[in-house]
Amino acid sequence: MEYPMAKIELSNISHTYNPNDTNPTYALNPFSMTWENGKRYAILGPSGCGKTTMLNIVSGLVKPSKGKILFDENEVTDLITEERNIAQVFQFPVIYNTMTVYDNLAFPLRCRNFTDQKIEERVKSVSDTLRLSSFLNSPARKLTADQKQLISLGRGLVREDVAGVLMDEPLTVIDPDLKFRLRRNLKEINEQYKTTLVYVTHDQNEAMTFADNIIVMDQGEIVQVGLPKDLFEKPRTTFVGYFIGSPAMNLFRSEILSDNSIKFNNGTIKTKTDLSKIKDKNVKLGIRSEFITIATDQKENIVSVKVTRVEDFGNFKLITGKAGDLEIKSKVEREIPISTEELKLHLPAEKCCIYSNEMLVN
Amino acid sequence: MEKLYKFLKYTFIILWTVFIVAPFLWAISTSFKDFQSVNSKVTYIPWLDFEPTLEGWRVLVKSPARGGVDIVEPYFNSLFVTCTASLISIVLGTLAAYALSRFTFKAGFVRNNDITFFFISQRIMPPIVLSIPFFIFLSTIGLLDSLIGLVVVYIVLLMPIAVWIMVDFFNRVPKELDETALIDGCNPYQAFYKVVLPNSIPGLIVAGMFCIIFGWIDFFFAFILTFTEVQLLPVKVVALNSSITPWWSLSASALISVAPLIIVAFVVERYLSKGNLSGALK
Repeated sequence: MEYPMAKIELSNISHTYNPNDTNPTYALNPFSMTWENGKRYAILGPSGCGKTTMLNIVSGLVKPSKGKILFDENEVTDLITEERNIAQVFQFPVIYNTMTVYDNLAFPLRCRNFTDQKIEERVKSVSDTLRLSSFLNSPARKLTADQKQLISLGRGLVREDVAGVLMDEPLTVIDPDLKFRLRRNLKEINEQYKTTLVYVTHDQNEAMTFADNIIVMDQGEIVQVGLPKDLFEKPRTTFVGYFIGSPAMNLFRSEILSDNSIKFNNGTIKTKTDLSKIKDKNVKLGIRSEFITIATDQKENIVSVKVTRVEDFGNFKLITGKAGDLEIKSKVEREIPISTEELKLHLPAEKCCIYSNEMLVN
Repeated sequence: MEKLYKFLKYTFIILWTVFIVAPFLWAISTSFKDFQSVNSKVTYIPWLDFEPTLEGWRVLVKSPARGGVDIVEPYFNSLFVTCTASLISIVLGTLAAYALSRFTFKAGFVRNNDITFFFISQRIMPPIVLSIPFFIFLSTIGLLDSLIGLVVVYIVLLMPIAVWIMVDFFNRVPKELDETALIDGCNPYQAFYKVVLPNSIPGLIVAGMFCIIFGWIDFFFAFILTFTEVQLLPVKVVALNSSITPWWSLSASALISVAPLIIVAFVVERYLSKGNLSGALK
């Protein structure tokens, strides 16, 4: 069976909601991006960073101020939503109150004049996946909030020929247990039907577990696009380091001492980064608390800290310590005994990221 | 304490019910009385206090030539004018309200809210202000003393109500509903009548109810803009009153004037109590 789906290309897109002002504020700064056919993408960023605007531009609900959108090389920038063949699911369930669950799921297909037989087949398949089969004949308005959201989701998934399914924090109203199962379902659907899925969220765990590729946004700007591992280990900006991971990345103001070492408190920290080309001596050191260990027999990159807090999270312990004015966090296995006062921590050189002007130095 | 509260509550409800129902009972009993039973001592119960008669009702359907007043024709005139004007007002008002709710209009300093207010302001004006312009307008286009002329005037009176209620209603229907319909493959017109409109039935019913009530009870314009050719029910009922007030036929005509509104109230009440007024969201 063939699925005529599309590669989605955004070329030099930018958008402002007040184009006539002399100084328009941009909800989205110019960017280009390609979403490959059949992949899973997550757009991650804090509220108001332009995630939803980006989705609305792709679905055609918002016309971008500048730039072009292409589905498989065909320009769709001027096509209205109806003609784009794209599905979008909103944060809160939107259902057709006056129809039954079946009619809700069948609606997108009916609008496109599919045969009754085909409609029945698709609705059955989707309702099985979403476990809505037993409700098909009930009025949609009688269902609970999470079931309603499943209907919204189902209406997106029922069309197998869509260019992509855009989801705007679709699982917000759904309880955690079901959330987990649905995310897995979505992955299965993606693997089975090769539907391109784009998933907007502000929850990093959701993004990490769901997507092949994560797009991190901040203030209308795409900050980094990459695999979950890259985002975690090599955040391209301090924002990504801060935003992704729990706790956030340790970030310290520092100064360059030599081509591969920086000042830290009163000691030095060696890094694998070539620092010779950086003009500004003031940099930031970033390191994940996961990579900081309690020093055993290492000679270099040792920091001694005064332990201020130890929190037990069940599967790990989070140590917060002070080295001079700097606060440092380290995640360690819970079995490791921790002295309550002084502690020597090891910051492995290969895990140290150096940021000059908030951007990662490669 | 709880008992006292319950006692007070029920006392109040009973008093209020009596207050509402008593005039109706009074009118019902009066409509079956004759001159004698109304004008001598006070009487309440048929067959015991007075001998019931259908004379009050008969007068209403008898032609004037045979000593009746014939309110049948005005009754249907009123029905026609009210229903036609309400229907047109609802259709036009709903379209206007949807546009005002979903699109942004700009004309000089005029914005959506100003346009909505302009509609409502038609109802803020005392009717007397409008009477002369309406009179001149209808006489210019030759529709004075005609049903069509009344329909035109009533549309002007009723459409603001429809716009007002429906703008508020559409504003509470999330725009995501329209957007979802567009994404599902409707064009904007289909999105309106396949998705938004069915979801707005409770609003339409409320707007329709208000239009019918205000159209049906209007006396002022019906009185000013008609003379001999066309008469509406409220005018005819008032005209019943002569040197000797015929309380029996007045009561009977009052009852059949109220009847359609009571029916409307019962129908609407069923829809309103279903809880359908909540939006499509959540």
